[in-house]
Amino acid sequence: MWAVYKKELKSYFLSPIGYIAIGIFLLAFSAIFLFTTIFVRGYDMGSLYFYIAILGLPIIIPVITMRMFSEERKNGTEQLLITSPRSITSIVFGKFFAATTIVIITLLFSLLYYVILCFFKAPNLVTTLVAMLGFLLLSMSAISLGMFISSLTEHQSIAAILNFGVLFLPIITSTFFGVEIPFINLAINYQKFPSGLVSIQEIVNLLAFMIMFILFTIIIMQRRKSVK
Amino acid sequence: MIEVSNVTKKYANITAVDNISFEVKDGEVVGFLGPNGAGKSTTMNMLTGFIESTEGTIKINGYDISKKPKKAKRQIGYMPEGTPLYTELNVKEFVTYMAELKFVKGKEKKDVVAKVLEETGLTEVKDKLIRNLSRGYKQRVSLAGALVGNPDVIILDEPTVGLDPKQITEIRNLIKNLGKKHTVILSSHILSEVSQICEKVIIINKGKIVAVDTPENLEKKTQNKNTIIITVEDQNEKMQTIKEKIREIEDIKLLKENGDGTKQYAITSNEKVDLRKDLFEVLPKEGITVLELKKDETTLEDAFIKLIDSDLLKKAEEKDKIQNEDKDKNKNKEKEKQKEKNKDKKQDKEKIKDKIKNKEKDKGGKK
Repeated sequence: MWAVYKKELKSYFLSPIGYIAIGIFLLAFSAIFLFTTIFVRGYDMGSLYFYIAILGLPIIIPVITMRMFSEERKNGTEQLLITSPRSITSIVFGKFFAATTIVIITLLFSLLYYVILCFFKAPNLVTTLVAMLGFLLLSMSAISLGMFISSLTEHQSIAAILNFGVLFLPIITSTFFGVEIPFINLAINYQKFPSGLVSIQEIVNLLAFMIMFILFTIIIMQRRKSVK
Repeated sequence: MIEVSNVTKKYANITAVDNISFEVKDGEVVGFLGPNGAGKSTTMNMLTGFIESTEGTIKINGYDISKKPKKAKRQIGYMPEGTPLYTELNVKEFVTYMAELKFVKGKEKKDVVAKVLEETGLTEVKDKLIRNLSRGYKQRVSLAGALVGNPDVIILDEPTVGLDPKQITEIRNLIKNLGKKHTVILSSHILSEVSQICEKVIIINKGKIVAVDTPENLEKKTQNKNTIIITVEDQNEKMQTIKEKIREIEDIKLLKENGDGTKQYAITSNEKVDLRKDLFEVLPKEGITVLELKKDETTLEDAFIKLIDSDLLKKAEEKDKIQNEDKDKNKNKEKEKQKEKNKDKKQDKEKIKDKIKNKEKDKGGKK
């Protein structure tokens, strides 16, 4: 798994995608930081993460996940991976954790905003960390979904658009039409984390979602052997 | 050692590989030959575990590729068709990654990678991005990826496609050297390549194995007659009389008349007889000057085309047969129908006759 992980992480930063993803992430953080803290003179880190989760994730996760399997399939490099003595499970997990690492790097950068607030009045650190942990879980669920979509097609752009659609649709329907789509609306499971509360229900929901799509990806990759 | 037994691969409604079985022993270099779409790559992909066979078993060094994939795959180094590579990495990074995937441990890794780079002649370009390499170098990088970790079995799918002649000879020599330590299977549709490198050839056509043999034997098998091409200066037009002097000659055929008064003939004889010596002795006595004389050897190319054509011919004949049978059946049916019709007509006529007779009788009775 670590061989794949190392190479994937390296690839993120050898191509512009890693920088673009982190860049957009931080841009969004800065913009929302303006609205949630500076303009309202608050020091609530929780709402910063909440709005990033709603507005930032649907754009950034597709950028991170679109090439995971589709690029390999298009270039034929999946032949190298699948014929290597590594199991598909370890390949999938290697790629998954590499993508997760990009989010972790961004989250570490986002501590910068915490430091900025510390100059005025230090927000509660534990609350902030809980919000970050929840954000990480939420991102991992979204990544697993993106990874699954990427394993379905050999076109990166189709994977990205599909993933964006699936992540953004429930947000549109709930804000504009008041219709909740419970299963794919990941934001439903990010209600208590921002205020520093650890909710078992939210953790279980996110973990279940994540594991399910990781399993789906493994199944898809294994099925391809016999279908192809 | 590779054992393939009764392997079939079916797609929705196409059978790409149809019940093939063969064996490759340790240290053999085997060529996999076939026209485009014959099932070469499908077979290669099944051997490496990239796709699963619909039926049959494949064993690599005794490990079943579908039951013990990890162990089986550890025995294999695979160079896929079209040399897919991670172009964002540099050469050394790529080969190192391949080594890591094959469980080469940290300490050995550096040495193993350096050795492979040396073997494939990549040491000079090891820090270049693969994206910027020429095609020949990319091919070598792909080969290095297959060789790293010293696997027993090396499978190469069309390793010399798209290379210039110099690169081709380099890669061929490399593969020849590999044969000393490894079992090598390579697919190709370039026949001269296979006859040069391989000890054994497997010819596949339309998913079926047509022949398995050494290149020499294949050439012999498909060669039915011994033919000698001879260029002579024959002023007295005595060439056709040679047949009487040398009894083994079966046929003398004029191939072409050169402008300078010389002629080229093809002389055929039974396959076991070598006429060259006799011709050299007899022709000068007849006043014929021999300018050139050579044995016309069938190449693997001829063998290949013959084998595949014969396969096609058989199928065409079978088709014809079936069609003819159908036609015959149809004709018979038509004949029977006509007979029945005729019968009906006859019966109708008889009925009418009977009616007329009856009427006449009735009339007679009334009278």
